[in-house]
Amino acid sequence: MKAKRPSRPAIVLAILRKDLLQFSRDRLYMILSIAGLILFTSAFWLIPPTVEDFAVVGIAHSGLGPLEEALEEEAEGGLKIVRFPDGDSLRRVMAKEAQAWSDQAGRLLILDRDDRAARPKGGRREKPVIGLDFSPGFLEDIASGVVPELRIYVNNDTPAEIQGAMTSMVRELAYMMAGQAMPVSEPPEDTIILGVDRSGSQLPMRDRMRPLLVFFVLMVETFALSSLISVEILHRTVVAVTATPARTGDVLIAKIIFGALLAFVQALILLLATGSFAAGNPLILLLAAISGALMFAGIAMAVGSMGRDFMGTLAWTMTVILPFAIPAITALFPGSAPLWVRFVPSWGIIQILNTTANYGGTWADAGSHFAVVLAWVAALLGIGLWTLSRKVARL
Amino acid sequence: MEPAIQVESIEYAYGDKKAVRGISFEVAPGEVLGFLGPNGAGKSTTIKMLTGQLVPAAGEIHILGLPVRGHSSEVHARMGVSFEEKNLYPQLSAVENLRFFARLFGVNKPNIDGLLEQVDLLARKKDRVSSYSKGMRQRLMIARALINDPAVLFLDEPTDGLDPVSAQAIRRIIRDRAKAGCAVLLTTHDMNEADKLSDRVAFINDGTIHAIDSPENLKLLHGTRSLAVRVRRDGKAEDLHLPLDGDGDIGARLKAAVERADILTMHTEEASLEDIFIAMTGRGL
Repeated sequence: MKAKRPSRPAIVLAILRKDLLQFSRDRLYMILSIAGLILFTSAFWLIPPTVEDFAVVGIAHSGLGPLEEALEEEAEGGLKIVRFPDGDSLRRVMAKEAQAWSDQAGRLLILDRDDRAARPKGGRREKPVIGLDFSPGFLEDIASGVVPELRIYVNNDTPAEIQGAMTSMVRELAYMMAGQAMPVSEPPEDTIILGVDRSGSQLPMRDRMRPLLVFFVLMVETFALSSLISVEILHRTVVAVTATPARTGDVLIAKIIFGALLAFVQALILLLATGSFAAGNPLILLLAAISGALMFAGIAMAVGSMGRDFMGTLAWTMTVILPFAIPAITALFPGSAPLWVRFVPSWGIIQILNTTANYGGTWADAGSHFAVVLAWVAALLGIGLWTLSRKVARL
Repeated sequence: MEPAIQVESIEYAYGDKKAVRGISFEVAPGEVLGFLGPNGAGKSTTIKMLTGQLVPAAGEIHILGLPVRGHSSEVHARMGVSFEEKNLYPQLSAVENLRFFARLFGVNKPNIDGLLEQVDLLARKKDRVSSYSKGMRQRLMIARALINDPAVLFLDEPTDGLDPVSAQAIRRIIRDRAKAGCAVLLTTHDMNEADKLSDRVAFINDGTIHAIDSPENLKLLHGTRSLAVRVRRDGKAEDLHLPLDGDGDIGARLKAAVERADILTMHTEEASLEDIFIAMTGRGL
């Protein structure tokens, strides 16, 4: 049993091998890691890859002729008009008491909600977001100067902006048909788009989900690493390790490498499985994944040092990690995120993943984000190392 | 011969509370020094300083001629430690635990089976430590402390939680190591164990060493011997204790004591280390 003084890399490698073995024995995190990857990848592929960039409008009472044409024209293809035979069937569909189905011949059928047998084969369900029930003689009333009646049906699926927009549009068309001028004029030029024009190339929800799924994977691995660190501290095994030629620094380096590798490999698998490397610059995505893995390894070291038992570690991890999900959630929805969200450390990584994988972003687009991300990575790794080394010294 | 462990006036305090106040001692190669003291006496703090877990506020520690401060890796490479807490990896087996520590020490071909056989764990070598009893874990701790064939061995309560047979096996291992030249420092509050194992014992209380010598010398210098005689007098058993030290002819005193009585049993009694500890520190273990 002759000993030869081991080199520092040999010591770090020994700790890494032990960590890997220990991780593989932790059934909970092994299952969570594998099941998480399968679940997140499945969720990605199950979400439809298409975007419905039109709104379905249900209209009751035919014979509106020019008004219907004007509605479609006004919406420039953004509206799909579904004609209902009467106001009551429109009301029932909007109230979700009945369902509207188009058969292959294009006929509209109004069916009881639970009557599955009656649904037409190869048919399509029509789900209007708003229903417009025009009174009989609507056009004539306008022409003769009588105030016509219009019922607008909305339900809890109707976005408020659609409701407002449709009401305004109908009012505008009524003005037009009555031969009255609108009390406002539009500038002659086209709509001025500020920022990137995404019209016609809206992202499907599936693609919007990508950064969030990567975040989930990193989160699971943060739990795993923080638990591994906390077990090492609670059982004081790290004291036994530092009573050998291994130094505290070797333990810290091994934890960073193990945590970052664990998270990076999982993120890499997810990015591969969701076809992200084909969608954007692979190098940028790889660097973003490595940065994210290092950032979350830093967090895991800090929270792993703080927990006094399994539940304590879990609680600390949840508390620290959940705010990091906010930038990934904001990426799901169109529009700008509030200013404060940009100060969440994960913001830059989510932005890089989103712009690169979903919009073909380049190094020029990712550069400024990377500068911020690297600063956050350095800060969080520093905090993690400091917390863990202090904890080890106090054991 | 250069001492394997050399400690000079070390001090340590937790905040305002001084745990160790200027302790000095030496342990020669092949010697077993028993560190005796009650809980909170400063034993564990001293061991932590010796093993490099704590840095002394004052004083010097040399292990195998090297100062611990600044040479921790070199010193640790030649020492084995069995901690009081059973800090093993519960999710790994005995073999995996030992193999990991062998790698940390740079031992290429560790005799893991041999060590496990010595501590009677060979049959359970592939079982996870989480399934081990307290005694089995303690035996594995001893095996781990020996994985690098250390020149200096620190053992904190090495037979704690062991059954008498296992405790005897561990004592035999410790004696064998000492015979092979290993310096052993063991802390215990079991006076019998210290008496059986140690070449010298140190009494520690309130962070200072009150006495350090061989158990025999301590007993001779600080204890009293007596003769315990059980007699039957008038049909009733009676115990007599006759001091062997002091003035007077013991033969005459014994004769006078047992006159008109039947002697049932008779043996000599010597002071225990515990009696001496209490007498010296005014505190029990």
